[in-house]
Order: sequence, then C-alpha cells, then structure tokens
Amino acid sequence: MSECILVVDDDRAIVKALGILLEGEGYEVLKAYDGLQALDILATRQVRLVLIDVMMPKLDGLSAVMRIREKQNIPIIVLSAKSEDTDKILGLSMGADDYVAKPFNPQELAARVKSQLRRYTLLGDIHAGNRADEIKNGRLLYRTDERVLYADGEAVRLTATETKIIDLLMRNLGRVFPAEEIYRRVWEEDAFASENTVMVHIRRIREKLELNPKEPEYLKVVWGIGYKMEKQEKCN
Amino acid sequence: MDTKWKNRKNAISFLIFFIGVSLVLGNTMDILQDLSGEAMPQYVQQLLVDDYQQSDTFRGYIADRLATFLAMATNSFGYSNYYSYRNGYNTAYEVAVLQQGTMEGVPPMTVSEAQYYGYNYDDYYYQYYNDYDEDYAGNYSDGKSPSLTDEQLAEQRKEIAQRYHDNIKRDQNLLYSILYDGKVLYTNAENLEADGSIIPSENYNFFLCFDDGKVQISKDGQELDIYGDGYYRDDSDWYVPGYRNFQVDKEMKRATVYMAVAKEPLFYREGPSYDSNYRAMDNALYWLHYELRHTRNRLFRNATYLAIGLALLFLSCFTRKSRREAKEKIAGFTGKLWLECKIVIWLFLVCLIFARCIAVGYDYSLWYDLLWAYEGNDFKTAGLYGSILLTQFPALCWSILFWGIYLTVNDRKYNKKVWRHSLTGKLYKTLLARELQQPISRKMAHRNRIAIGIALFHVLLLLFGVWLLLFVPLAILAKIVLILLVYLTAIIFLLAEYLVCAKNMETARDIEALSNRINDIRNGDYTSPGTDIPADSMENRFAGHDLEHIMNRLEDIRHGMAIAVDNQMKSERMKVELIANVSHDIKTPLTSIISYVQFLKEEEGLPDHVKDYVMILDEKSQRLKNMVQDVFAVSKAASGELPMHMETLDFGKLLRQTMADMEEQIANSKLTFRAEIPDTPVMILADGQRMYRVFQNLFQNAIQYSLDSSRVYVTLTADGTTAIASIKNTSHMELEKDKDFTERFTRGDQSRTDGGSGLGLSIAQSFTEACGGKFNMEIDADLFTVTVSFQIQ
Repeated sequence: MSECILVVDDDRAIVKALGILLEGEGYEVLKAYDGLQALDILATRQVRLVLIDVMMPKLDGLSAVMRIREKQNIPIIVLSAKSEDTDKILGLSMGADDYVAKPFNPQELAARVKSQLRRYTLLGDIHAGNRADEIKNGRLLYRTDERVLYADGEAVRLTATETKIIDLLMRNLGRVFPAEEIYRRVWEEDAFASENTVMVHIRRIREKLELNPKEPEYLKVVWGIGYKMEKQEKCN
Repeated sequence: MDTKWKNRKNAISFLIFFIGVSLVLGNTMDILQDLSGEAMPQYVQQLLVDDYQQSDTFRGYIADRLATFLAMATNSFGYSNYYSYRNGYNTAYEVAVLQQGTMEGVPPMTVSEAQYYGYNYDDYYYQYYNDYDEDYAGNYSDGKSPSLTDEQLAEQRKEIAQRYHDNIKRDQNLLYSILYDGKVLYTNAENLEADGSIIPSENYNFFLCFDDGKVQISKDGQELDIYGDGYYRDDSDWYVPGYRNFQVDKEMKRATVYMAVAKEPLFYREGPSYDSNYRAMDNALYWLHYELRHTRNRLFRNATYLAIGLALLFLSCFTRKSRREAKEKIAGFTGKLWLECKIVIWLFLVCLIFARCIAVGYDYSLWYDLLWAYEGNDFKTAGLYGSILLTQFPALCWSILFWGIYLTVNDRKYNKKVWRHSLTGKLYKTLLARELQQPISRKMAHRNRIAIGIALFHVLLLLFGVWLLLFVPLAILAKIVLILLVYLTAIIFLLAEYLVCAKNMETARDIEALSNRINDIRNGDYTSPGTDIPADSMENRFAGHDLEHIMNRLEDIRHGMAIAVDNQMKSERMKVELIANVSHDIKTPLTSIISYVQFLKEEEGLPDHVKDYVMILDEKSQRLKNMVQDVFAVSKAASGELPMHMETLDFGKLLRQTMADMEEQIANSKLTFRAEIPDTPVMILADGQRMYRVFQNLFQNAIQYSLDSSRVYVTLTADGTTAIASIKNTSHMELEKDKDFTERFTRGDQSRTDGGSGLGLSIAQSFTEACGGKFNMEIDADLFTVTVSFQIQ
C-alpha cells in the first residue's frame, strides 16, 4: 500500500514536478494549490506527510501548518523561497518538522520525505522510549553496546575509524572537539597535521548520514574551533 | 519662586551670622580696649557709678594739687616728687627750673628759658632721672641748687608759684585757697570765710581741708574716712599727708589749704588757643569727667551691641543648614576670583594693619609701645603684643581680619583646585598646549612658546643693557628717563607678545576644533553637531572668530554630505529590498526549472545532442541558483543587515579547516597550495560561519583564476595586535590595475563566460567588514594578493 503525500504550492509547475518526483518514488500524491484546499483534503483523506509552501493565496503555509497541528501529528515539510535562518527557525517553531529552501535539489527533497516518513511510521512507535544504551539525536540513533549508528532506522555502514569518531561525538552531543583532540582520542597518536585527516573522515561520514552533505545538519564544523555533533532539539 | 525664597533665606541666615559675629567681635574688642591699661574691677566699678569724684584719677589729681599747693604755700620743693608736678602738666617747665640745681654741668636757667627750651624737657628729665639716685644724697637733700643762692632760689620759686596760680586760677572747677600762718596767699574763690575757707555753694559738693598736717574731706556733706588704720599703703585711696608713715614737716604744718570741687565740671576758656595762658586752662577735671562719662556711655553702647550680636549668633545656630548653603555660594563666588587677587588683598590687609600699628603717630607708635613695655612701665595687660594689639587695633581691624580669615578658610574648604582660577594658571594654560591634538595646532602652540621665550630673553638683555647704562657718565635725569623708557618698552613688548600669543592660541584651538570636525566628517560622522553637543556650541564657539566663515562652509559641506549619505543609505536599503524581492521571485521559477531539468536528466532514450542540451541546462540552472543566493547574501551584508554570531576563534585553525574542507577542489586543480600558518593559536573575534565563507570564496577565486601549475601562498602572521592572513596567487590572465575586484559582478574577464557569479570577492569583503576585520587587495603585475586582518583578542 503506497503512502499518501499532500503537496501544497500555488505554483502548479512545482506541484506537478513534486508529483512526478514522489510518484516516481512510489508514493501517492495529493495536490492542493492553497492553504484552505490543503485543509479540506486533510479533513477528508488519510495523509501521511505534507509538503507545503509558505507564500500562498487565501491561507499561507505557516498558518496552515498551525491549523494542521491542531488535529494531526503527521510530518510536515515546509518549502519556501525564504532561505534566511530566521525564516527556518520561525517555520520549525510553528510546528513544521523540516524546512527546505527553494530552489531545492529534488533528490534531497525525496530523501527528506523518506526520512520523515520512516521516522513517523517505523521509529515513532517502535522505539518510543530511550534505552540506556541508546543515544538518540534527531534522525540518528547510536547504540553504544553494538557501536552501530542508525539513520532513520537504517544502520549506517561505517569503517572502524569512522565508528570511533561517531562514538566520541555521539557520546558528547553538542561538544566541540578540536581536530587535535579527535585525532588523539581516535587514532591514539600525537596530533600532527591532523586537520586534513580528520576533515577527510568527517566528510566521508557526512556523505553517509547527511541528507545534503553540502549543508550538514548533524556533523558540523565550528569554524576556527573544531567539530561537533549538533544536538537536535526535536528528538521526540 | 521656591528657589528664590530659598536663596533669600540663605542670604538672610548668613547676614544674621555676619552681623552677629561682627558685632560680638567689634564690641568685645572695643570693650577690651577701653578697659585695658586699668585695674579692671575698680575701673569697671568706677565706670558704673556715674561720679567722676570716685575715680582713681580724680583722687590722684586732688592729691597732686594738694602737694603743689603746699609747695606753693611753703615756697619749697614740697614733699611730692617730680611726678606729681608732671601730672599737672603745665608745670613741667617749672619742674625743670626747680630741679635744675641737681644736674651737674647744666647752666642755671630761668623759667622763661626753660619754657623756651621746652622741647628739650624730656632730655632733661631723663638725664635727671638717671642721675637722681647718685645725686640725691649730696646735692639735692637740702633742696638747694649749688649755683643759686637761697634768696635767688626763693625768688624763683615764688615766681613759679605765682605763674602757676595765674595759670590755674581761672579754672573754677577747682576752687582753692592757700594759707600760710593763717594768711591767705593764693586763692581763686570769690568768697572766702573769715578763716580763709571757701564758702560752700550748691555747685560744689567736694570739700578738702588741709590743716595741721592732716586732711579732711567731705563729699556731699559727708565726711570721708581717709586714713583708715592710719598707715599709707600701695592700695590706699588717698596719697596725702597725715598718715602715720606720711607726715609733713613743721613748716608745712603751718600751711592750710582749702579746696572745693565742682559737682559737674564746666569747660573754661579764655583767650585764643595759641596764647600761652590757654595751656594753663587744662580743664583737667572737666576732661576727666568728660572722659569717664564718655567711656561709660561707650561701654554701655558696646555692651548693648555685644548683647545684640550674641542674640543674633544664638539665632544663627538654628539656620545652620541654609548658612552652609550660603557659604557654598560665597565660596563659589570667591572661587572665581584669581588667586593673585586674593594674595594681593591679603598683603594689602596685612600692610594696613601694620601700618596702623606703626604710623598712627609718634606717641602711639609701635616703637613707643615697645619702649615702654621694655622699660617696665605701667602696662597692666598681659604681654607686650597683647597690649599692642589691644590698644592699637581698632575693632574694625579685628573684624576685617576675622572675615578675611573666614573667607579664606571657606574658600579653601570648597575650592580645592587653587590654581584653576589664577592668573598664573591661566597664563600657563594659554602657553601650554596639552589639550591640543592636531599637529597644526600643536605646532602653533610650540611656535608661541618659542616666541615668548625669545621675548623674555630680549627683555633680560634690555635690563642688562640698562644696568650697563648706569656706568655711563650721563646726567642723572637722562639716566632716569632712559631707564624709564626701557622699562616701559619692555613692559609694552611683553604685553604685546602675550596678547599676540593668547590670540594665536585661540586660533590654534579653533583650528584644533576645526580639524577635529574635519576628522569626524572624514570618519563618517555626518550627524549634525546638534545631536551630540549642545546645538549652539559649535556655532558659538566660532561666532566672531577668524575661522567662523570656514567653519560655516565646512558645516555646509557636512550638511550636503549628510543629505547625500542619507539618500545613498535610502537607495541602498531600497536596493537590498529590491534584490531580496527579486531573488525570491526568481527562486520559485528556478525551483521548477531545476526540478524539471532533473527529470529530463533521468529520462532515458534521449538523443545524445538533447542530453548535451540538458547538461547545459542543468549546469546553468545550478549556477543561477548559486548566483541568486550570493546576490542576496552580498546585498544584505553590504546594508549591514546580516545577523552575526561573533565568537572568539583561532584564525589559524579556521584557515586550516577551510583548506581541509576544500581539499578535494584543491587536489583537483593543477595548483599547489603553500600554507604558512603558525601552530600557536591566533585568537580573533569573528563569526566563524561567515569567515569560512570569506576564505572559501578567496580560495575558490584563487583556484579559478590562477595560472595552471602555479602556487597559491596562504600565510598567517600575527604581530601582537593584528593578525593578517594573506592569499597570493598568480593570475592566468592580465589584470587591470585599477579595477576594483570587490565591486559586485566584477570579474577578471569581461566576457563573463566562466562559472563565477562575480560576487565572490564582494561577499568576502562584505563579510570581513561585517565581522570587524579589514579586507585589502593588491595587484602587482600578475600577482594577486588579498589580505584579511583582524584585531588579536
């Protein structure tokens, strides 16, 4: 049974493009061209995920998100041409689960949709509680006893060194590690020309777990200081 | 209204205090002055009883007269000493004659001769007094002069007695009749009893009778007890014969003297004041009476004022607070006075006081007092200076002195910085240029100092010349005129020099202000002077000055610039808004383009040339996407609306991280990156994310525009205060020297066919400056150098 996704945008070309994209991924796509229409569809149909634009006639996206949130707990991804940090923060605090700036990469968007759905359908209920040997951070779940990292419930294949780095960073969410320290603790050698080595590994890990490795959400560089695993506020 | 009343209250409270203190001080001093030199308790008592006949002076006077009358009666020297004669002062010359026989080497002198030499009397007197002890036993005991015969001496004495009688007889305040062997010799009373005594009349209330060596006195019809226990002591009231230890000889016992003293003495005069007889009418009793009464009145008056003063002082105890405020106000006033003025006023005051001490007159001069005090004479107040101060200082002097000290203390209390309001301080300030910062005004001040120095040297030379002039043989008048001329020249010269310098300093200060203003404007302070300094200060500062019109023009320029800058800011803001809107509007169609290009790319079975077209579409749409984002970022950064997250970070690490991040790109290029970054942390304050963007752009720029196989040099240097990162690369094409590469959409090649948005350097510069750093670019032939510098934290 295919999951039903509601796409809302006043630009019909975009709605159509998203429809093609998501149907290609095997989802059923419902289309709406303004906020009110979206609310109507949500009232009548069983929808698993909403992709919604912000600037729309009749009822704007953010207001619609608030109205949806009054009744439903489904994942909502906001699409917007506004790419400022403040816009993103506003969107997320209104109740959206993700915020994608236009123009977006269709593949990235597809990945995000998949990620949200998986978390909602599979992980949301199964792993309701935090186990002692689990570290949960947004899409990521790290099992300390198995030393395995899961992204959206799927195990990420990491090399031994990458696992060591993830182990260090996941156990210290939000803490900034200078490259030398990471090097010393992972390689267990004195740091020498560590920056490049560490950076290479960080980049590889990113490619494995980030939805858009060019704009990482989890493994972040703190410029001029070091590296950290960003602690996600929304981790259920 | 309220403050007015308060001010008035303060003034009144201080006035009360002022009057109170002045009254108390002045009158206390007056009273002390009146009472000084007297035995206090008796004197006060005598003053309080309104009867001059009860005073010591009166008793002494009567005793003196009695002694004189007895001498006249017996035609002898009498029992009294010189002192009693001296006190009846017009007999001084007579004394000289009487006593001349006791002085050796002094020729005999008649009364008229003595009168003629009268001014020498004191000399005689002192000489005599010094010789007295030695000569007394030998020459003087018989009361005869060695150079005069007894007959001559008797004759002389008779003449003296007659003259004396003639002199004093017209003073009817004292009536007397002098008898010898019952025969009246001298009298000035009109009516006498048969026995020679004076018939009492109602104007006279004091009667004295000397008979048979004893004195009887009746006052107001009552007999006085003169002798007490019969022995004369220092504190006995009456120094008259008749005590057991003060008897007269047989000769004198034959004399009888009657005296009657007026109750209210009158003033008698006769003839012109230059007549020698006038002296005789000493009116001693009248003056005594007068003096006592006036002293008494004065004392009462002083006491009344003293009481009022004390009452006012008591009153002022309740208004202490407002008095303090008044004092502060007075201090504020005195604080404005130049210090030199204060010093001059004090000197003047001190001089005045000393001048009063010294120059009042011979008899009351300081030296006279000193002498008397030294001689151990009759000063009853304690201490030499005390006596001088009390007798010589008028109460006014004390008051002035007190208020002078009071004001000085008050001034010192509230005005701590003495030099601030002094002529010297002002001069110092005029000639020093401490507050001047601008080179030109400092130079002007320096020149001023040199000018003043030269002027002083010049004047010194002049004075030296004058000194030399003294040795030139010239008429004294010519010398004086020359010296005066030179001094005048010197003074005028110095004055003129000072005025010129002061004016120059004023101009220097104006120039200082002017250049400060120019600096402000240069530094981008286009705000009107009214916003941060009082509106009129800038205008007033220059009103009427030499630089006024220049300042006004500068203000015009500033005003014009302010308007221009304002307009520019407005248009810049509008531009940002426009760009934001446009980029937003572009983004939406772009989303569709990118999406559909993606679908096209995934489409299978397309002919190869169509695939090529799709590739190009994909590439260009991606570039368009980047460009839209860059345009938006740079316009925001340029307008200063970019949110910043400033943190302390390691500059070196930032560079290393950025290079590591771009490692792939660097490896793919044909360039070699040579990094020279110190391992020690170089901490700066910046937004890491933005700075990453800066260096990403710079490296990308280097990669894109460098000559193949050339090297890119990345260095970081820190010199204590600033950290400078520089990126040098060799351009693969010719760079135009004067092109500003940070200008938006400027690129090395004009054709704009390469992948750059033309915003890379512009973004780098905007972000660097937004973080508080400095962005600089240099082109030297094909060498392209970018430096980014930050303050080290």
